[in-house]
Amino acid sequence: MNKAASSITRRLVVLGFASVSAVHILGYGQGFAQGKAPEGPIEITSGTSPGGTPDVLMRRAAKILNEEKIITNPLVVQNRTGGSWMNAANWVLNKKGDPNTVLTIAQPIITTPITQGLPTVYDKLTPISMFIQGDLVLAVRPDSPAKDLKGLIDLAKQRERSIKVGGSQAGSTDHMVTGLLEKAGGVKFNYIPFDGGGAAQTAFLGGNVDMIVLTPSEILPLMQSNKARPLAVLSEERRTEPEFKDLPTAKEQGLDVVWGQSWGLAGPPDTDPAVVKFWNDAIQKLVATDAWKSAVNEMFLRSKVVPASQAKEHMAKMHQEHLAVLKDIGMAKTQ
Amino acid sequence: MLDTLLSLGHGLDVALAPTNLLFIFMGVCLGQIIGALPGIGPSAGMALLLPITFGIPPATAIMMLAGIMYGGMYGGTLTSVLVNVPGEAASVMTAVDGNQLARQGRAGAALSVSAIGSFLAGIGAVLALAFVAPALAEFALRFSSPEYFLLAALGITATASIGAGSPLKALLMAVLGLVIALVGTDPILGSARLTFGTSELLDGIDFLPVAIGLFGIAEVLNSLERSFDTNPMRTRLKDMWLSAKDWADCRMAILRGGLVGFFVGLMPGAGPTVAAILAYVTEKRFSRHPERFGSGALDGVAASESANNSAAHGALIPMLALGIPGSASTAVLLAALVMQGIRPGPALMTEQPDLVWGLVASMFIGNVFLLVLNLPLAPLFAALLRIPYEYLAPGILVISLIGAFATSLSLFSVGLTLFFGMIGYLMIKADLPRPPLVLAVVLAQLMESSLRQSLMLSEGSLMIFFERPLSALLFLLVLASLALPAINAFMRVRRERHHHNSSQFTFTAK
Repeated sequence: MNKAASSITRRLVVLGFASVSAVHILGYGQGFAQGKAPEGPIEITSGTSPGGTPDVLMRRAAKILNEEKIITNPLVVQNRTGGSWMNAANWVLNKKGDPNTVLTIAQPIITTPITQGLPTVYDKLTPISMFIQGDLVLAVRPDSPAKDLKGLIDLAKQRERSIKVGGSQAGSTDHMVTGLLEKAGGVKFNYIPFDGGGAAQTAFLGGNVDMIVLTPSEILPLMQSNKARPLAVLSEERRTEPEFKDLPTAKEQGLDVVWGQSWGLAGPPDTDPAVVKFWNDAIQKLVATDAWKSAVNEMFLRSKVVPASQAKEHMAKMHQEHLAVLKDIGMAKTQ
Repeated sequence: MLDTLLSLGHGLDVALAPTNLLFIFMGVCLGQIIGALPGIGPSAGMALLLPITFGIPPATAIMMLAGIMYGGMYGGTLTSVLVNVPGEAASVMTAVDGNQLARQGRAGAALSVSAIGSFLAGIGAVLALAFVAPALAEFALRFSSPEYFLLAALGITATASIGAGSPLKALLMAVLGLVIALVGTDPILGSARLTFGTSELLDGIDFLPVAIGLFGIAEVLNSLERSFDTNPMRTRLKDMWLSAKDWADCRMAILRGGLVGFFVGLMPGAGPTVAAILAYVTEKRFSRHPERFGSGALDGVAASESANNSAAHGALIPMLALGIPGSASTAVLLAALVMQGIRPGPALMTEQPDLVWGLVASMFIGNVFLLVLNLPLAPLFAALLRIPYEYLAPGILVISLIGAFATSLSLFSVGLTLFFGMIGYLMIKADLPRPPLVLAVVLAQLMESSLRQSLMLSEGSLMIFFERPLSALLFLLVLASLALPAINAFMRVRRERHHHNSSQFTFTAK
């Protein structure tokens, strides 16, 4: 307690009065634990190669956190690629109680153990927060006879596997979405895994596949140049931007398919609750900054915070949902 | 045509602003350094520097990042030639012949011809980019899985003719490479293959540890057997630069390498590494002295180095014209654009003329910077080889292992590199060619996934490889590449037998 108090006094000198009062309000508002900043640089471990979406998001977040002096420790985004995020996950799992390491949470942290039959990872980490969400849009070639989701399902019913869907690796988000659509519509698609989203998009633009799953920021330029026809957004509600407000959800079209991507942070096993609190507060402040809001808008993402108090439950739910879908598409090795 | 010239003039105006010039210079210098360090390639280097581009204008940021991308192609040559460790993936072919040349005291020539070839091919590719990008982008889209499979197959079958040794040994080593590439995650089913339950092997065996081990470490191990009184490589000043004869030998190699590289780079599924390999095997077909390939062919170095640079530029075409990444590096460029609030896509060229044309113009300037940097430095770097090998060897080991560590930041890659170093040493002892193995590891992933994707696209019909005009053409090339060594061998046997028979005949007639 004493140590925490002294670190707050130090912050008072460094940061000035305004930010400290914010620490106080947030710190005492939720009661049980006091936020405590670790000393020295903090590593944000990421499992994608540099430039991948989670990597870009965390680099952006780290920059804003440092620039706005929400976190004064140097934040280093480190790419520990390999093993479909398992190298990054194992690195952090082995850092038991280390306050200077956090792991980027992305779908593979949940799905790789399921598809590879490995012990689960998410429940061994100390969840901090899920705070970035992305929507998905379903699109067909502009010359496709399918004008809406119903048209697509009717077309797929004519002959099994006649509609080719391009996407990234087996077990990826694209694959899961295709599986959900198959189940909801009672049809079978011909899912072809390419080496990542870019390659799938190339195959789509070249007319080699008929359908694709894209993020809003990926589909927008294709819509504007009439190279793709969006059929549905797979969120609960329509997006509100002028570009997307006319695009109906799958639910509106009678197919109950809601799926998206989400990202966040978790600490190693046995992370000190004070460090969790420190991060939780930092993320609350991060999402309130204008810089973060404009970054999120630019990339057509959402930023709804699942705080540390609910993160564990939230991740357990994510695990169950992913497990169910992966079982349906025959990709689950664990039960 | 006139429009293009006007836009290009405008782009030059943008690129010649002092801040932009400074950032282009910084970009190419960083690229040169990042390229020379094994392990981190241009794409990783660009991504590491992404955050510092947030505050600067989009055009400036892109010019700098692109500078790293093609600067890396120049830089990678250095380590390949001097220490036989590919500085980045696309320089793997350069390590084969460039290092042999260095041993013959011709490192300076190899480095100079690489710089000149990279420069000429780079400028040619930028010109094509400026004038015909949209048409070329549409052409690139016609390449899909069947064509990629045949392209990779062409590369693998051509390995039979790489190196002076027997084609059978080369093919066997290529098959071993394919087996190594089987380790990892099945690209279609997503199930683990030959990983023995270790998560380190889930993503397969990256080819950099294989290349660094087989080339760099194996050479060092092999050198331990030599006695210590060997003289340092004698490099006379006059051997440092290109002679008129060298230039005459390499002119066409640069042209052919540049063309092959450009078209391969254009295709979103291939990249500078595949481009360099295909340019190398193409050059061997055309060269006047194919027997020198593998033991120090200057035109082989010229072809593959020209190819990787023009491929790096060619990959920008699908990115700028369609918004799809043609390589790992252009994927990072795309990410940079997105982070700057620019949405890349088919309309980019008309919506962001400052950015697109500024970038095109900056590449002319950047390539000039790189040529000016590299030409005088070539003899300087080559002079490093005057250091006796027993002092150089520990340095090579350190560079190799740090490079291996940098590929995944794990000690597992270091162990893997040492393991392949041992394999490489045994291969030298058994007189087995190493390049085919490395090439197969590079090409296998593309070959396997595109074969299986093709068959899924055609719902199982093999006709997909003949029906499409481009794949039919490639199929013929693959057949020719397989048949040529066999025909050559047959002809040789026949000639010998004929010779033998006639001599026998004369004998009996007596």
